[in-house]
Amino acid sequence: MTRLLVARDVKRDYHMGGGGGLVHAVRGVSLDVDDGDYLAVVGPSGCGKSTLLNLIGGIDRPSSGSIEISGERVDTMRDADATRFRLLRVGFVFQRFYLMPALTALENVELPLAEAKVARKERVARARELLAYVGLAARLDHRPTQLSGGEQQRVAIARALANRPRLLLADEPTGELDAHTGAEMISLLGQVNGDGTTIVVVTHDEDLARAAKRVVHMRDGVVVDDRRQDGS
Amino acid sequence: MTAALFALLFIQAIDSTPPRPAPRSIAVDERLAADAGLELGDRVVVASAPGGAGDTVIVAAITRGRADPSEVARADYRVRMHLDELQRLTGYGDRVDRFAVGTTSASATDSALRAINSAAFGFRAHRSRDIAVETSRTFLVVSRFHRAIGVITIVASAIFLLCIMLLKVDERRRDIAALRLLGISKRSIIRSVMIEATLVAVLGSAMGVALGWLASSIINWHYRGVYRTPLAFAVVTPGIVELAVALSLVLGLGAGLAAGRRLVRQPPLDLLTGRHESRRTARAAA
Amino acid sequence: MLFRLVWASLVRHRARTLLAVLGVAVSAAMLLDMVMLSSGMRASFKNLLLSRGFQIRLSPKGTLPFDTDATIGDAAEISARLRTIPDVITVSPVLGGQVYASAGGRTATAVALGVDPAVEGDYEIVTGRSPSTANEFVASDDFFHATGARLGDSVSVAAGFDPQLRAVTGQRTLTLVGRAHFIYMPAGQNSVALPLPTLQAMRGESAHDRVSLFMVRASSNDRVDKVLADIERTVPRVTAVSIETAMQQVDERLSYFRQLAVILGAVSLGVGFLLVTTLVTVSVNERLGEIIVMRAIGVARERVVLQVLLESSAIMLVGALAGLGLGLVTARYLNSILASFPGLPAAIDFFLFEPRDAWVALGLLAVAGVLAGIYPSWRGASLPIAVTLREEAVA
Ligand SMILES: Nc1ncnc2c1ncn2[C@@H]1O[C@H](COP(=O)(O)OP(=O)(O)OP(=O)(O)O)[C@@H](O)[C@H]1O
Ligand SMILES: [Mg+2]
Repeated sequence: MTRLLVARDVKRDYHMGGGGGLVHAVRGVSLDVDDGDYLAVVGPSGCGKSTLLNLIGGIDRPSSGSIEISGERVDTMRDADATRFRLLRVGFVFQRFYLMPALTALENVELPLAEAKVARKERVARARELLAYVGLAARLDHRPTQLSGGEQQRVAIARALANRPRLLLADEPTGELDAHTGAEMISLLGQVNGDGTTIVVVTHDEDLARAAKRVVHMRDGVVVDDRRQDGS
Repeated sequence: MTAALFALLFIQAIDSTPPRPAPRSIAVDERLAADAGLELGDRVVVASAPGGAGDTVIVAAITRGRADPSEVARADYRVRMHLDELQRLTGYGDRVDRFAVGTTSASATDSALRAINSAAFGFRAHRSRDIAVETSRTFLVVSRFHRAIGVITIVASAIFLLCIMLLKVDERRRDIAALRLLGISKRSIIRSVMIEATLVAVLGSAMGVALGWLASSIINWHYRGVYRTPLAFAVVTPGIVELAVALSLVLGLGAGLAAGRRLVRQPPLDLLTGRHESRRTARAAA
Repeated sequence: MLFRLVWASLVRHRARTLLAVLGVAVSAAMLLDMVMLSSGMRASFKNLLLSRGFQIRLSPKGTLPFDTDATIGDAAEISARLRTIPDVITVSPVLGGQVYASAGGRTATAVALGVDPAVEGDYEIVTGRSPSTANEFVASDDFFHATGARLGDSVSVAAGFDPQLRAVTGQRTLTLVGRAHFIYMPAGQNSVALPLPTLQAMRGESAHDRVSLFMVRASSNDRVDKVLADIERTVPRVTAVSIETAMQQVDERLSYFRQLAVILGAVSLGVGFLLVTTLVTVSVNERLGEIIVMRAIGVARERVVLQVLLESSAIMLVGALAGLGLGLVTARYLNSILASFPGLPAAIDFFLFEPRDAWVALGLLAVAGVLAGIYPSWRGASLPIAVTLREEAVA
């Protein structure tokens, strides 16, 4: 199996304003993720999970250390390249869905395709296909406010997959959902991983963590445990 | 009673003093004195035609023109000289352009007017006030123009004010929704929004008056220089201040009321979640 | 997709957007009016001066045409000398004066122009014809109204009034042969034109062989400077005024309006700019979350900037288009106020619309629209993504 992600001694410090000193959110994480893997990052609140995910996804930069994805250095990219990288190489799913309220479900999925300059016809076809894939074929023209939380998160996953990224990053994707809807989400993510997309998910949800192939435990900004689960 | 004759004169400064009996005196205005470099005691030749024969006179006074609006923007110079000399120079004979007549009282003015006009030999007496009205026509036109522009400005600022109030209120949607949920009445919310609007309007108009005063000082300074006149071009009068303050108060209160009512019409929960927005967008797109 | 988002954010707060567009429309109208005012007066004055093709005017030394009662002597000789200058095509001597006309028991005072009827330099015949003999004259509409005279009537015209004798002087009986439009006269002015020798004779000794000004037509516009120099050499006792000089004089007299135009134009542009900046800044602040999510999923910084700029420009553009229409209407109204400006020829327009004005106003507004979007778009696009996402999640 090929290496998709290689992180080496990644640190992230936050300077607090007004002489508040340094916060060490991530203090030296090294991590290798294989192509096609399904990784869950767990740990107590404030241990640096989200920060690590943001660093991997190129929306934040490490204070030191290196992050490589498919052989590309994410940590030293110019802003324009990082933007391009986020658009094409990774997909983001957030706890609070973060859909564009003014756009319909279909348009929300079209947005990253349009940004990648996919022709209109092809773009609509792909967005429909993706929404059908996440089980929302009937809700194309609905706005986020007209959808339930679970449905919104499905649209968000469709949006994240729009440009066929190798890596899907999800920060507490079930955090705002009830147990039943959460379970649906877990099976959808399993399906996505089954179809070949590598997933790194940050979660407190034990069911979700159990569904992953590998679980990484963090505490105080470092990895304290990293184990592969039985492929049950 | 003073008689006046107006004529176009040509003035030439001379260096040598011709041997003549004591020259008569003239008064020139300060603009001419400045432009021609004349000083008290200078001798000049005045003539009715360029290069024509004239009289040598002595500059005995330098005058400052009255603030006469009808002369603004005219670059004419003014010279005062003895009437008989001007009559002789211009070949006008024993004639004048007009007489100015002073009377002892308003009723005396009436009877003098009647008496003069009934005995008039080819001339008419007019009240100074009527003549003033006629000569200030330019300024009536200009002030009508200014008033029209003022109206446009007021419309623009009313829109501006309404817009700002709307923005301010929208910004505090959540706070106000929380107040509503706590059971604060619609009336007190509208009242608080209106108090704020009034404060903004009062502060704004105070600053506006100060700014207006400053601007009018600059305008006066500038145009006095341009037109070389002591006239005041812009004056901030109490009436204008009252109008400005009243207008901004009315506008401010109106805008506050409109914005406040818009707010309390929304169900507080919608305000809190911002749902009214997306619903509106949904409707707009539908 | 970009336009979809711009549109969505504009309709999200419809009342706001509408007010902003309205505000911009009013300032755009004002701006257009001021652009028109700053150039219109000049242009229309120039058109007026050139309307009969005379590029040069000669007035008594040190004066402007018809600015004073001064006259030029030895008119016949000067006239002859002017005609000998190369490139001079037409010379039109004009004497001004006041006359008293009575027809059918009604008397009116009128401004009289003694002219060379063959040239028609000061008026255009509307009906009838130009004077062909010494005892004929043409008059303005206002004169026809004031006296009740009709074409073909004999009118008693006098050049003066002697108070001692209580009698009119220089009286003639002239035949009214034409109705004319007097190009340089203010609205509402009774005006008549009669052959120059007739008016000179009527005014007596004081006007003998004298004129108020000469109008001179040169063979082409680029010969004007040469002709001016020639005139200065051959006829030193007059001031020769070219269109350019006349325009300068007018500029000086009416500089007030030009300065007013510049100041008010700048103020209205500033107000429109402030309005749009405020609005777009607030609207970007409200949408920081959305903007940052777009950035997180890979939307380029330039796209965000473009979206906000499009938003501000759209408000400006729609406002400006509405404002141009509004501006034309208000310009007509303002022009009608200034049309009664005393002493100016009726043909002068203070607000003269030229397509260039609209482009200037539109260009200024477009620049202001883009500028208005720069601050908020820069703000939106330069936010740190991770930190802002976290703040949005808290809010
Ligand atoms: N912008 C910031 N400025 C200062 N400190 C920050 C900032 N972002 C994160 N931190 C700090 O970094 C630490 C790690 O935060 P992070 O969000 O990564 O934790 P987490 O593991 O995702 O927690 P949770 O499970 O509650 O989401 C926290 O102590 C947090 O306070
Ligand atoms: Mg987290």
